[in-house]
Amino acid sequence: MPDFFRHITRLFLREAKLVVQDHSLLLTLLIAPLLYAFFYGSIYSYKVEEKVLLAVADDDKSELSRTFLQQLSKMQIVEVVGARDLKDAQEKMYYGTCQGYLYIPGGVQKKVLALQQGDIVLAVNAARFLPSSELAGAITTLALTVGAGVRLKYNEMKGLNSQMAMRETQPVNLDYRPMYNTRSSYGAFLLPGLLALILQQTLLIGLAESMALDKQKKNVPEMLHMGGGSLSATLWGKGLFYLVLFLCYAFFFLTVNYSTLDIPFRGHAFDVAVAFIIFFFTLIPLGIWLGTLFPSQLMAAQMMVFSTYPVFLIAGYAWPYESLPVPLQWLSSMVPTTPFLRVYQSVVQTGATLADNVPSVLHLLALTAFYMLLALLGLRRLNKQQQSLSL
Amino acid sequence: MMLRSIINITIREWKRILTLPEHCIVLLLLPPLVCFLYGYIYHKQFARELPVAIWDESNSPLSRKFTFMLEQTESIHITQQIHNEATIEQLMQRGVIQGAIHFPARMDDHIKSRQPIYVTLYTNTAAVVTGKLIYKDAAKVLITAGSGVILQKLMKTGMPQGKAMALVQPIRLTSYLLYNPQFSYLQYLVPGLIAVALQMMVIMVTVLALNLEAQRGTLPELTVMANGSASSVLLGKGLAHLSVGWLHYILVTAIVYPVFAGGRMGGSWALFTLFTLLIMGCISIGFMVSAIVSDVMVACDLGLFYTSPAFVFSGFTFPRWAMPWYDQYYAWLMPFTPFLDGFFKVYFMELPLHYVYKETGQLLIYIVITFPLALFFLQRRMNKLKLQHA
Repeated sequence: MPDFFRHITRLFLREAKLVVQDHSLLLTLLIAPLLYAFFYGSIYSYKVEEKVLLAVADDDKSELSRTFLQQLSKMQIVEVVGARDLKDAQEKMYYGTCQGYLYIPGGVQKKVLALQQGDIVLAVNAARFLPSSELAGAITTLALTVGAGVRLKYNEMKGLNSQMAMRETQPVNLDYRPMYNTRSSYGAFLLPGLLALILQQTLLIGLAESMALDKQKKNVPEMLHMGGGSLSATLWGKGLFYLVLFLCYAFFFLTVNYSTLDIPFRGHAFDVAVAFIIFFFTLIPLGIWLGTLFPSQLMAAQMMVFSTYPVFLIAGYAWPYESLPVPLQWLSSMVPTTPFLRVYQSVVQTGATLADNVPSVLHLLALTAFYMLLALLGLRRLNKQQQSLSL
Repeated sequence: MMLRSIINITIREWKRILTLPEHCIVLLLLPPLVCFLYGYIYHKQFARELPVAIWDESNSPLSRKFTFMLEQTESIHITQQIHNEATIEQLMQRGVIQGAIHFPARMDDHIKSRQPIYVTLYTNTAAVVTGKLIYKDAAKVLITAGSGVILQKLMKTGMPQGKAMALVQPIRLTSYLLYNPQFSYLQYLVPGLIAVALQMMVIMVTVLALNLEAQRGTLPELTVMANGSASSVLLGKGLAHLSVGWLHYILVTAIVYPVFAGGRMGGSWALFTLFTLLIMGCISIGFMVSAIVSDVMVACDLGLFYTSPAFVFSGFTFPRWAMPWYDQYYAWLMPFTPFLDGFFKVYFMELPLHYVYKETGQLLIYIVITFPLALFFLQRRMNKLKLQHA
């Protein structure tokens, strides 16, 4: 047993030296995670989008339309841009100076006073998903509120006292309680997952590059020799450097980044720590196995770059797992990101415990065993190949 | 003479693209794979049938009617009946439900006795996409149902239906969700994801276009072929990479966009122009890095760090104006940013080219700045090589 630890220590030091000497590994493993975390994180630091530009063409120019527009300009989501007429408003949207337009035709107030429905038109550029949906939702709410105001006045005119008139105005109300992200902000949703993804991808790219470099330089027999001939000592000796480094990063992200970006942390630190340890124990063999497949360090870097978006998109974070086609659900289940993000999101954002996520934890553990086996087989194959070449 | 050497270099570069795995896999194998994968992920277009619980303390005809209406929506699927708020939290934490709706006790009686009632909607907004979908559908149902209650009350007073309707909704807002009326993720995300992947591919290969020649000892041969002219090398290689870019354009506009994202077959002249400018910008940037950085691994890493953030910084998923000012400036370092602004106009909005004059001008700036720099550094390297040989 002491021999096993001695071998692991030697390989750990060897890996540290390799990383320090290789510019690319140094950049990927020591600079990129920190730079990315602050860089990407800062994008969403305001969390929600505000002041979406909306052109307004008011042909009614009545008291009602002015009240409507006054209320509109008070909304955080909207920044009103004046337009001469409907055509001008449309052109503004076509040139990208606004995300949509609101048109109030002449005679709206007249119709409302005559107890007829007044029509107004909202057109939003739904090709831009987030601002347009926010805009449409906010203006719909405003139209309903103004409508309720008209009803309130009518009820008061009918002789009801203000309390009764108020009750009659809106008999059924919606009380919306968005849980765990009270402002329903995109930033608060995306940031925790993004930070975990940065850790995952920089670890995988760095480790796969390092393993591919060892393969390229035919260093696998030497590595195995340092590991006392034990494949698992070689795997974990090489991997230990990444485990220590990325656990430090995870700690840093969950403390410094979470506090600077103002991300709420609702779970227990112990649960998150355990989740991260299992996650890294899965990623390390996966990274080593992937590295054994690439012919060179360059190819490893080139190919791994293109894994980031697909892995994130099929992990069930940005798009529900159940809404993926079945073959992609199978593929998603083979990626450690899927069960990890489920546990991590549940613990960090909703305050759940590991006990609430037993199936996902078991899933992650099964993947650990699976990728460990693949990594050991990959190392054995490379060792045999390179030994026979040296003979 | 120069034209001939450019053509020869183009042919030579095409051969390299076809034979070098670092070029061939990224430029020819990955694009169809990535395109089809992205199309397939969002194949279902919408997230449907999300698990939602009902907490019905009213247990009345009205609450059952509301429940039925909620079940009829696209995103809501009632999977549980629960009896308290604590269960909602527990089930959300375990990922069993994404939302819950509470009908208060004696709901019908309160409405009849002019007491306003509050139907509560809970969503797990830690997952904002599903949370918003459930909210959208639930709000629509409850607003419609609430309007129905007002209408009935007014008509009971003897008011004619037309007038009652006008009081229920005095201001009728007609909303047009242009260019993606159903908020389809497929239509919205896939074209942009594919465009960003293609620009990444072009840059990841062109950052190796010159330094890999030096590393593998083929630069002297290339110098001879170009008669020592860096411009012949860059134009020859650039043409080869541009033609690959056009192949990508054919792939996406003839197959991927029409099949997966409901796009127009073949795109449009404006889209072709914008795409060509993006590819030319990416090629120029890649050449510049390749001419300056001789270590291929470092060049590859620079390509990686430069291209990876393009999607999020471009404002595709989160608008640029909502980012801090320094991120907005950073976004302009990448040609994908002006391309995306123009892409919204020519692809989604199907507008003619004159609406993207600003974006085409911005894309040209990337070429005008980086191409001469690439030319300068490559010429210097080639001159040094010449001197060494002399």
